[in-house]
Amino acid sequence: MSATLPAQPVRSDVPRPQARRRSRASAWLYAFLAPLAVVIGFPFYWMLALSITPPNEIYRWPLRFFPATPTLDNYVQLFTRQDLQIGRWFINSVVIATSETVLTLLVCSLAAYGFARLEFPGRDQIFYSLLFALMVPTQVTLIPTFLLIRMFGWLDSYQGVVLPGVAGVFGVFLLRQFFLSLPRELEEAAVIDGASRLRIYWRIALPLIRSGLVAMVIFVFLGSWNNLFWPLIVLNRLEMRTLTVGLTVLRGAYGADQMGLVMAGAAFASIPVLVFYAVFQRQILQSITLTGLKA
Amino acid sequence: MHTSYTPDQPTARPGTWKDWRWYFGNFLFVAPFLLLFTVFTLAPIFYSIYMSLFDWEILARSPRFIGLGNYADLLNDSLWWLSLRNTIYFAFLTAAGNAVFALAVALGVNQPIRGRDFFRVLFYAPVVLSVAVMGIILGWILNTQFGVLNYLLMWTGMPAVPWLSSPRLVIPMLSVATIWWTFGFPMLIYLAGLQNIPETYYEAARIDGANAVQLLRHITLPLLRPIIMFVAITQLISHFKIFGQPYIMTEGGPGRASFMVIMYLYQTGWRFYRMGYGSAIAIGLALVILFFTLLQLRFFGAGADEAN
Repeated sequence: MSATLPAQPVRSDVPRPQARRRSRASAWLYAFLAPLAVVIGFPFYWMLALSITPPNEIYRWPLRFFPATPTLDNYVQLFTRQDLQIGRWFINSVVIATSETVLTLLVCSLAAYGFARLEFPGRDQIFYSLLFALMVPTQVTLIPTFLLIRMFGWLDSYQGVVLPGVAGVFGVFLLRQFFLSLPRELEEAAVIDGASRLRIYWRIALPLIRSGLVAMVIFVFLGSWNNLFWPLIVLNRLEMRTLTVGLTVLRGAYGADQMGLVMAGAAFASIPVLVFYAVFQRQILQSITLTGLKA
Repeated sequence: MHTSYTPDQPTARPGTWKDWRWYFGNFLFVAPFLLLFTVFTLAPIFYSIYMSLFDWEILARSPRFIGLGNYADLLNDSLWWLSLRNTIYFAFLTAAGNAVFALAVALGVNQPIRGRDFFRVLFYAPVVLSVAVMGIILGWILNTQFGVLNYLLMWTGMPAVPWLSSPRLVIPMLSVATIWWTFGFPMLIYLAGLQNIPETYYEAARIDGANAVQLLRHITLPLLRPIIMFVAITQLISHFKIFGQPYIMTEGGPGRASFMVIMYLYQTGWRFYRMGYGSAIAIGLALVILFFTLLQLRFFGAGADEAN
């Protein structure tokens, strides 16, 4: 080949067309993203708008995108109707989702630390055979677990909803990856200082995998808060229902002629999670992205 | 006492009493998990197989062993096949839709433009809603008589469409609703993958004169291939388990046009109390999911090797 490289002409006008091209490209991007944002965001708006719309306006044509006479009456009814116990359902959901989150994090992180760092005979064999359980869809366990809960007398109880979901293989797998990526030196230093295993786990290892734990909290809490099938079959008494199951009751009872009331229920059920999400969005998205990479 | 530097290694030689005590202490970390896992996952998996061999109705008579009778019934059960066909159709439509749509959106919000954090936060927001809330809102938007979608259609002069009450449209519309609800998660996974592609690749290609489409075709997509595969497989598996959307939005209708396997399981187990047959349905679904997973791994796995 020829020994002389063709000289790259240094062109002073290069930045300008490029900048113009870039701004044209971002205009195209906005043309794609802005309508998409409207489509994705509209259902949230619509839920809130309908929840303050009186019944005589909802079933009317042409539609109005904002009620002519906005009212909080739907919310008042939501809390005062005798056949709805929405306050109690809210408390049930909070108790169930919180306890499931705390227990899952504790049980899974302990096990993950054990599998990552603490030796005992058969450890790795047990861990790798657990991975096979990931292949089995959870639906297979529904019927036997239901009969087990029934046998324990745990139908219509918090523990009946919470305990079967606590020992998830995925959680252990994920947190183990995080523990394995920590430098060993930190823990070794603590051993020299005479710290116990439990103390090293709790004081050193756990704080260092914070982003993994944050992602787990979000997955477990939302999964529990939003779960439909399991609470539907385990909790039957009206006052034991969760918000998610309660909403299906609400929709079944009033979906035909009181859509505003149903939307008020939906808004009430989602506002806590949406506020939580809005406040911690940056951390939530970062943790999930990071976790997505590890998995 | 243990003076070793790593928590792993006991000081004494293996086999001594002290050693076993140390191991036992280590084992206690995993013990709560193993106990709960055994009781609520492992034992139920095997018990489910056992139950599926019985005519087992919890409120009626005592269980009667019938061998593979439930599976023989399943093969001749038109409701099983119908619900399976609906479920497979829904799962493929939704997984493919999510894999493509989430990728397109991720490519968009990966660009350094003003307001992209806003777009990301908004696009992930539907994921935090419960299936009940999502079903209530989108079910109403898609309502034939009072829904916004038909209102807009009629405003532009087109006739109203029975989105959720037409047997032909109901599954595609459930799929669209599900994509709205879930695409934020694969979008984040794609974003993580996109940020892992070294910027120097793009710079080198740009110097060679590649345009945006060429960059996408020859750099982004090939490097993203394993992640696209991961998304497609996990999406397919998770959407096989569809229950809430048709339970809330259509109750399986019109007729049985959106009747899904898990709804059939629910009906068999908790409406008719036929736990043995229900177990057979659950195992049948598990086998189908396993089959598609292996098929996909094989199909895409070979492709990915070629690409490398």
